[in-house]
Amino acid sequence: MIIRTAPILLAVLLSISSLTALAFDLEGTLKDAIKEKVKTGKEAEPEKKPETKSESEPAFNLRSPSQAEEIQLGRQITGNLLGAAPLVKDAALQKYVNEIGRWVASQSERPDLPWHFGVIESEDINAFAAPGGYVIITKGLYRKLENEAQLAGILGHEISHVVRKHHLRLLQKTQLLNIGAKLLGTKLGKGDDTVQKVIGNGAEILARGLDKDAEYEADRMGVILAARSGYEPFGLPEVLQSISETGNTSRVQLLYKTHPHPDDRLLRLGDAIGDRLDKVQGKTLGERFYKLK
Amino acid sequence: MHILRILTFAALLLPGLSLAEVGTALKNDQVRAEPYSDARLTGSITRNDKVEILSRNGAWLNIKTSKTKGWVRLLSVKRGTASTGSSASDVLNMASGRSGTGKVVATTGVRGLNEEDLKSAKFDEAQVKTLEGYTQSPQQSQKFAATRSLKAAKLEYLPAPAQSAGNTSSGSPVPGGAK
Repeated sequence: MIIRTAPILLAVLLSISSLTALAFDLEGTLKDAIKEKVKTGKEAEPEKKPETKSESEPAFNLRSPSQAEEIQLGRQITGNLLGAAPLVKDAALQKYVNEIGRWVASQSERPDLPWHFGVIESEDINAFAAPGGYVIITKGLYRKLENEAQLAGILGHEISHVVRKHHLRLLQKTQLLNIGAKLLGTKLGKGDDTVQKVIGNGAEILARGLDKDAEYEADRMGVILAARSGYEPFGLPEVLQSISETGNTSRVQLLYKTHPHPDDRLLRLGDAIGDRLDKVQGKTLGERFYKLK
Repeated sequence: MHILRILTFAALLLPGLSLAEVGTALKNDQVRAEPYSDARLTGSITRNDKVEILSRNGAWLNIKTSKTKGWVRLLSVKRGTASTGSSASDVLNMASGRSGTGKVVATTGVRGLNEEDLKSAKFDEAQVKTLEGYTQSPQQSQKFAATRSLKAAKLEYLPAPAQSAGNTSSGSPVPGGAK
């Protein structure tokens, strides 16, 4: 598989590098993209030669988007997600989640993003992050939570995806592969159409899994972000326990497709934590936890 | 064995009752007399061992197995016995009007969120505006944290564990423990 794919990838690589107007990071992103490609074994269509070169400099810089551009992408993805499942109509709940989320995000390396948090009408058990500081959790997941420390842990996991730009990198890779496949540059113009073009159909980016290491990393960071915020650090693993206990029902179908199994996440987290958090004390705040109506 | 099954069944029927919780060892680990890493060893657990969870103290669980009793690390044990899928929750799931396919099969107002839903989702500007309307400033959230004396603490992120750790079936090796 790898032997067969390699020459094709090389061809793709050479063709891409000849397109000067492409605004993609040909160092990091391409390497990752090729690794991914080799791993999945899905081959680029090699038959088309570059007939069209991209004519204009892209107005949207996907290679190294500004913070404003990153937020624009995240806003579009989140708006699409909300189109599929709207916010729970409970202002007190939404405010509460923002109060906790904003506090936890302030302990991260990106405290200056305009962080937004929301709970959506879905009985699925899941949570989502989009570039630029958008974090959404489902009512189904919220229902499983028992205290504020657990909420902080879940939000901390999602905040970590934003801090580490996991989804942004996935978008960059995806776009690069599309272009590699077609051997021509997608013309990136201005406005929301462009942004939508970058993110694909609707909010499908959120249905695609990040690589497992990104999830394990977000788990490790989420635990610490909650602890940095003054919470008991085991909120996140407790929720993973609870999800594992739920079993493999339709409510966790998408979560299981896009994340490693909760048991594996618990194992990895346990190995990472070891005795490091033995002295860390924090609050659980079960009594302040906002109960769903 | 038979008794365990009856107990499990009883626990399912009476979820509110705090019978000792059943758990499963996620990996091999040591069991200690007290919830401290330097406490005396009382035995060990082996991956997939059924354990009874008696109580919790911070990062430690007080457990009982057929062979030993004592404290293990919280993340070495998971609650419940099912490794994949639980028939009980599937039944509940069916009752709430959902099939196993992720599609709503009855109009109970239960809404899922599968890949197709996400792919075909259409942008909703009003909803994003509502979301943004709930945004809290750093100062507001800090104030809210302060009402429960939550204090920001300095703490390093956890390093990634050695690659093999989570993949092997053994987890942390237990010196002299059963394989």
